[in-house]
Amino acid sequence: MAPKKIPSPQGSSKHRLPDLWRSKSTEKSLGILLKRLKQKDAASKSRGNLIEDEALEWLKPRALIKPDDQEDVPEADLDEEVGRVLTTINPNWVADEVAYHYGLGRFVAKPKPTFGKAYPLYIYQGTAIRKDSEEAKAQIAAGYGMVGFDDAGPKRAKVKKSAAEEEEEEEPEPEPQPPEEAKAEEDAVADEEKPGEAVEGPHEPEPVADDLEATAGDVGEEPEGDEKDESKDTGEEVLEIKPRVKKLANQFNFCERAALTYNFPRRSVDTQTIPPPRANYGSTALQCIIFDYYQEDYARKQREKEEDKPKRLRKKTAKHVKSAQQIHDEQLAQRIREAWTILERLVNQNIYDDIAQDYRYWDDPSDEFREGMGSLLPLWRFQFEPMRSHAVCDVQWNPHYQDLFAVAYGSLDFTSQQKTGCLCLYSIKNPAYPEYAVVTDSPVICLDVYKETPYLICVGLYDGNVCVYNAQLTLESSYQYKSDSVRDKHSNIVWEVRWGARLIDGESTFFSISGDGRVVQWAVMPGELQATTIITLTSNVPPIPGPDGTMINVNSCGSCICFHPEKPDIFMVGTEDGMIHTCSLKYNRNYVRSVQGHHMPVYRINYNYFNNSIYASCSGDWRVKIWEDGREEPLFMFELGAAVGDVKWAPYSSTVFAACTADGKVYVYDLNVNKYRPICVQAVVSKKTKKLTRIDFNTRLPVIVCGDTKGTCHVLKLSPNLRVMCKPPKKAQGVDQRTLQIMKLDKLLSLVRDPPYQTGVVDEKFDDD
Amino acid sequence: MANEAEDTIRKLSTYKGVVGVVVVNGEGIPIKTTLDNHISVQYAGLLTALVDKAKTVVRDLDPSNDLTFLRIRSKKSEVMVAPDKEFILIVVQNPVE
Repeated sequence: MAPKKIPSPQGSSKHRLPDLWRSKSTEKSLGILLKRLKQKDAASKSRGNLIEDEALEWLKPRALIKPDDQEDVPEADLDEEVGRVLTTINPNWVADEVAYHYGLGRFVAKPKPTFGKAYPLYIYQGTAIRKDSEEAKAQIAAGYGMVGFDDAGPKRAKVKKSAAEEEEEEEPEPEPQPPEEAKAEEDAVADEEKPGEAVEGPHEPEPVADDLEATAGDVGEEPEGDEKDESKDTGEEVLEIKPRVKKLANQFNFCERAALTYNFPRRSVDTQTIPPPRANYGSTALQCIIFDYYQEDYARKQREKEEDKPKRLRKKTAKHVKSAQQIHDEQLAQRIREAWTILERLVNQNIYDDIAQDYRYWDDPSDEFREGMGSLLPLWRFQFEPMRSHAVCDVQWNPHYQDLFAVAYGSLDFTSQQKTGCLCLYSIKNPAYPEYAVVTDSPVICLDVYKETPYLICVGLYDGNVCVYNAQLTLESSYQYKSDSVRDKHSNIVWEVRWGARLIDGESTFFSISGDGRVVQWAVMPGELQATTIITLTSNVPPIPGPDGTMINVNSCGSCICFHPEKPDIFMVGTEDGMIHTCSLKYNRNYVRSVQGHHMPVYRINYNYFNNSIYASCSGDWRVKIWEDGREEPLFMFELGAAVGDVKWAPYSSTVFAACTADGKVYVYDLNVNKYRPICVQAVVSKKTKKLTRIDFNTRLPVIVCGDTKGTCHVLKLSPNLRVMCKPPKKAQGVDQRTLQIMKLDKLLSLVRDPPYQTGVVDEKFDDD
Repeated sequence: MANEAEDTIRKLSTYKGVVGVVVVNGEGIPIKTTLDNHISVQYAGLLTALVDKAKTVVRDLDPSNDLTFLRIRSKKSEVMVAPDKEFILIVVQNPVE
């Protein structure tokens, strides 16, 4: 065996490479069988080369580069097939090759390689070894060679491998199989099959290992020349090897299997979705927009808070809530209405700009030179087209809104009476059209605006009915309250209505006086008017026989009513026969006092604003009289030359009053200035066609309004001389205007009262109560 | 409401000097007019933009404030605009001689 192991120069050169591999494998320290190890190494190596090739592929130019001097070969020649034959004979092989031997000094024939004519291009070390080879025997003896498990140390494996390689390289020829080996193999097989007998194993390997050591020793000694180092190395390694003890596997069918999971090839998949729709949006975040969003957000939070409340509470409120749409519609309608109103007023402002300027700034400059005389400047004229043929039967400024006044359209022509009437509210901001107009089915003769709630207006109609209108309501529901036409309406024209004090229960009341001689108190109950007759005006006329022989009492016809400014019980009525009766709510039969004031119907009685005992009356007998309570004779008497439709005290002065007459003139008196003559007489309308019916002072503005029989209302501005205010005397600076006015009137009265002043009858009578 | 609006427009257009009345809805489309169609459209379009701008001016100065009315006086006429978020009312009036 030993001589065979001497490596040939060829073999030794080959030997180096596997050695390298071996060191690699030691590093890996795989406990795998030698054969497998070798196989794997080879495989990984080849694969690595392949990968390298592939990696370099990109470097190669795509286009073929041809040398310039390349021969042009015709196409046909390129296509021509050239046959090639592979033969087993090496054509380059020289049968008798000689080389010069310097030692011998002659040519000697070169030793021929054993493989004859074959030329080794590539030598691959097989992993299989012959069973009957020494190596195999050694392996089998060591317990290797069985398929299954092993974790033999790398060094041991190395030795075996080297030994096997050497043997194989040097002795490709099969060797005769020694019977010992066969036996050993059989033992090993038996070992594997019967693990129970493994006890024998440990004893057996020892001698084999000894053998092996011996052989290794031989190997170390025998190599010659340059190969010695190498073999010594091997020898040293071999020396380290300890006898291999077969490891005991578990008692069951144990097998170790290494597996490499399949590596899934990587693959990249791209998908393109449909791009989402895009839109450009631009907006400016102005401060107001941000503010709005905050407001919205706040409102929403409030709402959410509301919704968090218990349901029980919410249901109650939800019942009366209108739908959001309804609310929105109503609000929109309201906004549109308001916008129209403003537009209308603007248009009117443009149209009546000069009048507005006059109203505001123009004061008659001639007043300065006319001591004690004034004038009236006509401003706007108010007309409601459908009411052109009607007469203005009453006008009254609104106590709350200084620019608003109410007009009652009726008729004073009793022979050809109008069928309808109208209640209008005008604002001086819009002279062209009434702010509120409601057509009634009977002419409206009188009206009164409730001071507490200035949108409630009571009216007296020609047919004897009284109504209460609510200017806040829409026009569809024309009146809020109306007297019952059958049960308790007046049987004659209602000449005047006046709001009175509230009842004990809190209901509002108003009083009406009518041509049928009754004064009725109307209590505004929910949904109806409750009538109470306060007094029936008796007349001196004896009862006259009726058509069926019964005697009928003739009532005197009431024509006006006026309440005492401070004593709500006391009121005065004027009658068509010229009587002025002072009455009390507490006495429904008797008058407190009666005065034959005029010879014709009394049209108006009006208390002075500063002195409660002074009142004025006017009548169809062309006269205006100023009375004092408790005095039979008037303090002043003025004859105006025509029927006086109305007389009113000025709210700003205690001595000024104005009257309008049927001949279309307005008279303004200031008793302080002139006790006998008016300080202003102004013809407002043509006396041929029109008469003035009613007049009213504005409580805050220096204007008066008067109505005529053709449905027109005239607003007149009082010139400065007509509204002279009191100058406080030097002694009493800082006294307010009202006191001064009272003092002024008192001073005037003391001059007029020729007989010494007596206590008023009214006061006397009720002080006793 | 519709009748009321009709009446108001009729009433307004009878006033002295009033040339025309245009009602513009929230989208800037004239829905009622007493002017010629193309003039109304022009008024509506131009004034909608102007109202927006004016509103911005007022509201940017004080966000709790709001524009209520717009009056444009020109040499020949006066345009009065009542702006709202849902409508614009326009009245064109020639000044009274």
